[in-house]
Amino acid sequence: MTLTKENTQQMTRNMMIAACALLMIAGLMQAQNTGTTTLSVVVGPEAALTVTTGTTSLTTASTAFANPYTGTTSLTYQIRTTKTTGSGTVTVKITSDFAGTGGPSVGTPPSAGDALTYTCTVSTPGTACTGSQTASTTAATSLATFGAGANSTKAGNTASTSWSLTDDPVYATGTYTATATYTISAS
Amino acid sequence: MKTMVWRFGTPWLALFALGIIPAGGSTGTGSQTLSATINPVGSITAPASASLTTSTTTFQPFHGNVAVNYQARTSAAGGGTITLSVSSDFSPSGGPSAASGALTYTCSGATLGSACSGSQTASTTSQTPVLTLPPSACTGGGGVCSTQNPNSVSLSFTLTDNPGYATGAYTANVTFTISTT
Repeated sequence: MTLTKENTQQMTRNMMIAACALLMIAGLMQAQNTGTTTLSVVVGPEAALTVTTGTTSLTTASTAFANPYTGTTSLTYQIRTTKTTGSGTVTVKITSDFAGTGGPSVGTPPSAGDALTYTCTVSTPGTACTGSQTASTTAATSLATFGAGANSTKAGNTASTSWSLTDDPVYATGTYTATATYTISAS
Repeated sequence: MKTMVWRFGTPWLALFALGIIPAGGSTGTGSQTLSATINPVGSITAPASASLTTSTTTFQPFHGNVAVNYQARTSAAGGGTITLSVSSDFSPSGGPSAASGALTYTCSGATLGSACSGSQTASTTSQTPVLTLPPSACTGGGGVCSTQNPNSVSLSFTLTDNPGYATGAYTANVTFTISTT
């Protein structure tokens, strides 16, 4: 078969058209592929608390020993206890007794009946301690308890202790400080 | 791939064996145009699983890293993307939920293309960016292509630790999609 010049030009045109078509198709081609990862997380019991009252001042309105010194310490707590089997507690312990001689003392009260006591307020899902609790320098005492599957809010729930310190005439005048440490636990 | 097998009958074998070529044989040449259309393509490989863990007990977020490998070729006028979506939210119920925006991630260390910037919130309903591929991008070989093969990008996932989550083990599926043009 003899190729004429016209045949050759036509073939060239056809090839160019085909090439352009292929390029256009290639330009329009879209490829897509996927891969999948399974993310796993184990959520366990946790607890945290923040004392929101920096310093709690115990004051009394009485000048005749008629009323104890009182004050309130507020805190927020976050808690998550294990479903069906978990529990949690918030406790408080006097980790540093009133400093200075002649003043009040939790560990060694100067007079019988002198005490630092408190009552509790706890929002759900906690259960507040019942009645008046006597604070101790040797043992953590209860502020709140939690049952299984307890969950606080993300921002935290509130609790507080309302303190009451005997106003004993034997206390020497002055300023006295003590440190109360709160502990929250969850299982 | 198509394989052609030439079969010679016994008489031809005999002729070759004797070194006899029929007189008057002719030789000829032929040409074949080979054409290959190189299309944009992308492949992606993600680890089967990744654990999100927290090192504290004070409601700090859970963290986990995922390295994604990919190969890509984009056209001169094209480009590409890698995106992710949460194809299956955390289950069972009572725990974290990507649908509520609890799962975020950052991207880094892309060896081809540009990793996403800032913190991205993973979604169960839409694709969110992981990486952008430029035009004429290609994996491996060096030169105009990357030197790495496969390419990789690292994702650091963060999951909020909300006290409201019930205790337990939860899993979610994240699907990565690479698209090239």
